[in-house]
Amino acid sequence: MAEIKVDVRGESCPVPLVETRKALKKAVSGDIIEITGTNPASRKEIPMAADALSVKIISDEQTAEAWTIRLQK
Amino acid sequence: MADKNYYMDNAAATRLDEAVLEAMTPYFFECYSVATSEFGYSLGLEAKAAMEQARGSLAKQLGASPDEFIFTSGSTESSNLALKGVAKALGNKKGRHIIVSKIEDFPVLHSAKTLEKQGFKVDYLDVDADGLISTDQLKGLLGPETILVSVQHANQEIGTIQNIEEIGAICRQQGALFHTDATHTFKRVPINVQKMPADLITVSAHTIHGPKGIGGLYVRKGTPIAKIMDGGFHEFDLRAGMENIPGAVGFAKAAELVTDEENNRLRDMRDTIIASVLKSIPNVTLNGHPKNRTPQNANITFHHVEGESITLHLDLYGISVSTGSACFSRSLEGSHVISAIGGDHERVHGSLRFTLGRYNTMEETAFVVETLESIVKQLRIISPLGKS
Repeated sequence: MAEIKVDVRGESCPVPLVETRKALKKAVSGDIIEITGTNPASRKEIPMAADALSVKIISDEQTAEAWTIRLQK
Repeated sequence: MADKNYYMDNAAATRLDEAVLEAMTPYFFECYSVATSEFGYSLGLEAKAAMEQARGSLAKQLGASPDEFIFTSGSTESSNLALKGVAKALGNKKGRHIIVSKIEDFPVLHSAKTLEKQGFKVDYLDVDADGLISTDQLKGLLGPETILVSVQHANQEIGTIQNIEEIGAICRQQGALFHTDATHTFKRVPINVQKMPADLITVSAHTIHGPKGIGGLYVRKGTPIAKIMDGGFHEFDLRAGMENIPGAVGFAKAAELVTDEENNRLRDMRDTIIASVLKSIPNVTLNGHPKNRTPQNANITFHHVEGESITLHLDLYGISVSTGSACFSRSLEGSHVISAIGGDHERVHGSLRFTLGRYNTMEETAFVVETLESIVKQLRIISPLGKS
């Protein structure tokens, strides 16, 4: 089981979703994809994508500097 | 990603029809030689006969003679040859003035820009909110120096069909040649050169379930045009390069397979998408002419949300559509077509193009509209452009 990190801090829509899609395509079943970003709309868009693809959201956390979403394929 | 694909980007490329592949296959493995003259070997004669049969069939579809149909590598080459070939033939004899519309696809627009750099004067016709050019503006720009007018038959993004008969007649009256890019209308909208006063017509196989890499240019008998690529004497000495015989055979087969019944089916699906979206999703605008549009095209702006975002989310459900033309989808640049019909920044970036083909079904349109409704609703809530 691999862990793929996607750093999209400073990027705005649609880049975080594009990078998340890229990582999800590369991942195999069971892999963890950790996306870290700063764009507020993307934080809401990525769970939408997870829902569409039936990918599990493990966590969704916000710090002062960034948000981090962990998905499991 | 998604299990099933709902492909609605048929203006960019179409799925090859199996019957087309079947028609092409012998010309890869059995009759694979170059086309030869009657003094050559038998295999080459067979190849030549197949190519000429394909040429005859395609010419017939346009109401033309076989020697008026030039095979090319596709629309881009056809339009390059039309514009640059006429400019080369007439630039030092008749004049150096060319007129094109502002919403032409890149092969015409960029050929015009290249000719401008070479000293030709190019005028760009405006279009109205539906994407139609003004024949009055055209009449005002035409002069004794005008060698060529190029106005597309239908637009690649918004599907608007121009009044080609009237435009061609005006050009003929003024002594200017007329080229039309029919990439998105060939076999979808009737074209007959006996009635349509066009001197040059660009067509392609890739939009009608034919192979990629083969197209054609109709050149009316007597049209002054010079070859733009050096090499051999192929295609009536207008287009050098080894003939793509499997492609030519496939193109002819693809054209033969398109029926009026299919076009009516595409029109019904197009109308269903447009009517359902306008009914179920608020704040949307239909782009292009409400009636005079290609049967396969629906182009809609979803206000307060970015087109690229919708495209990405639709893709997660297996739905393939594009924002503007295929080229824009690759570059993320705004659409020059939506801009020319008066669209603001939001509309330029928020339009989606649905283009239908043989393999789409009415059930698919229902799924696409339903998915779209849900995505747009959610994106409007979270988008910085959103007005939830």
